[in-house]
Amino acid sequence: MNKTILECNGIAAGYVKGLNILQGVDLVVHEGEIVSIIGPNGAGKSTLLKAIMGLIKVSAGRFYINGIEKTNLSTHKIVTEGIGYVPQVANVFPSLTIEENLEIGAWSVNNKKESIKNIYTNFPMLSERKKDKAGNLSGGQRQILALARALITSPSLLLLDEPSAGLSPVAINEVFDSIKEINDSGVSILLVEQNAKRALAFSDRGYVLDQGRNAYQGKGEELLNDPRVIDLYLGKL
Amino acid sequence: MLDQLGNGLLLGIIISVASVALSLLYGVTRIVNFAHGEIIALGAIATLFFSSPLDYRVLFLEKFSPLGLNFAISCFLAIVVCGLFGGLLEVFLFRPLRKNDVGNIAVLVVTIGLSILVRHLYLLFATGKVQNFPLELQRRQTYLFFDMTPRNFNVLIAGIIVMIIVGLLLTYTRLGKAMRAVRDSEELSSVSGINSDNIILITWVSSSMLAGLAGIFQATINDVRWNMGFLILLLIFAGTVLGGIGTSFGAMVGGLMIGIMVQVSVGLPFMEGHTEAKNAVALAVMILILLFRPQGIFGKKERIS
Repeated sequence: MNKTILECNGIAAGYVKGLNILQGVDLVVHEGEIVSIIGPNGAGKSTLLKAIMGLIKVSAGRFYINGIEKTNLSTHKIVTEGIGYVPQVANVFPSLTIEENLEIGAWSVNNKKESIKNIYTNFPMLSERKKDKAGNLSGGQRQILALARALITSPSLLLLDEPSAGLSPVAINEVFDSIKEINDSGVSILLVEQNAKRALAFSDRGYVLDQGRNAYQGKGEELLNDPRVIDLYLGKL
Repeated sequence: MLDQLGNGLLLGIIISVASVALSLLYGVTRIVNFAHGEIIALGAIATLFFSSPLDYRVLFLEKFSPLGLNFAISCFLAIVVCGLFGGLLEVFLFRPLRKNDVGNIAVLVVTIGLSILVRHLYLLFATGKVQNFPLELQRRQTYLFFDMTPRNFNVLIAGIIVMIIVGLLLTYTRLGKAMRAVRDSEELSSVSGINSDNIILITWVSSSMLAGLAGIFQATINDVRWNMGFLILLLIFAGTVLGGIGTSFGAMVGGLMIGIMVQVSVGLPFMEGHTEAKNAVALAVMILILLFRPQGIFGKKERIS
């Protein structure tokens, strides 16, 4: 078994005091894995990513990053622990140029010029349009910029919140191709998706959340063919 | 009309500097700060206290002697005091409110309360007297095609230079980019590794320093009053909204336009004998412009997806 990057033990968290959306979630991500979290609306998928990033307070349970406890660490410090995060909405700075977006992404990086250059080599589209405002990009281009902004710190784990939401089928393919390439370069991926079939087919392992709790977990392919999961979440697709 | 243009430029530069400060704060923190006027007044009152000769009894219930410092040093110290005041407001008031997720409207009401409280403290300690900086009177001179005193001309130039510096800092420095990033999204900034609390603190300090400077400008051109900031607060809001909320460049131009419109409207034929209504024309023009350009002159419409 590969090294564990992220471990969540019994995480409870929510936006309002006394009203937890997550009610004890366990999850593990190993080095090099693609792990997806699926589940119906309101199951707490996005909330879990926010809790990991320290964007909402964890009221119970613990997080471990590379084996060291990091529960309720400030968000900007979690970034320096090697965790990157791409939110579902507002995932670029619209009034900043593409270059400025990357500069902000590289805020905590020592060699900023070098890391931005690397991003331009990997994503030539961004280099061509570096003086454009991010607000003028199409949905698919935005998603690529959002991925690039999160990658610039060379994270060991990337959290992605519904990267396919609102995109055209062609753009979805491009984004998933990029995610696969990022994973091939050694970055672990923790993915939240509505598009459960696509996500599971693409992942090493998956977790099914329901009402803030773990319902099922297993290998991506197994979950995809698990009659209980199909019954609950996939049947309607 | 033309000497009114000179007056308009002077009022414009005061409003412009104050609008940039207000807009910067709103952009980064989403706080509509009604106490902005009191920070402006603090700049003027502090300068008056630092610079008035020792034997003057200008302030503070006639009990405290002013410091009698050099005028330039006084201005500098007053701006520092304003920055400190803004920083303390953030650390002890607005940060705790933010951490407890107090809503925008509630925070707005807090700033109104703060404004009334602080303004009446000024009335208590600085008295209701209209006072002037200890500067000698100057004769008006003609610059290009408008008349103003050399001192006021210097205020105008200083204001323009400050605006250019603020613009350059926001556009090109790491801190300026971070401020614009937090303005776009605080959450995304912190997941990019920025400590947004620090950026918000720096924004409070710099916005308050700019407001203090605007107060010094206003008091240099006119006089020091306990409610001087409150009196022009509405025009500052108008300048900010006219330029496009949250855009610094828009606030600069919007503030300048409002100032010029207020003063130039005095020269309109139907305004004869009704100069006390001079704000009306400027605000009517603002409403008209917003009807046709809701995002303000320099505000941008952006794709949402």
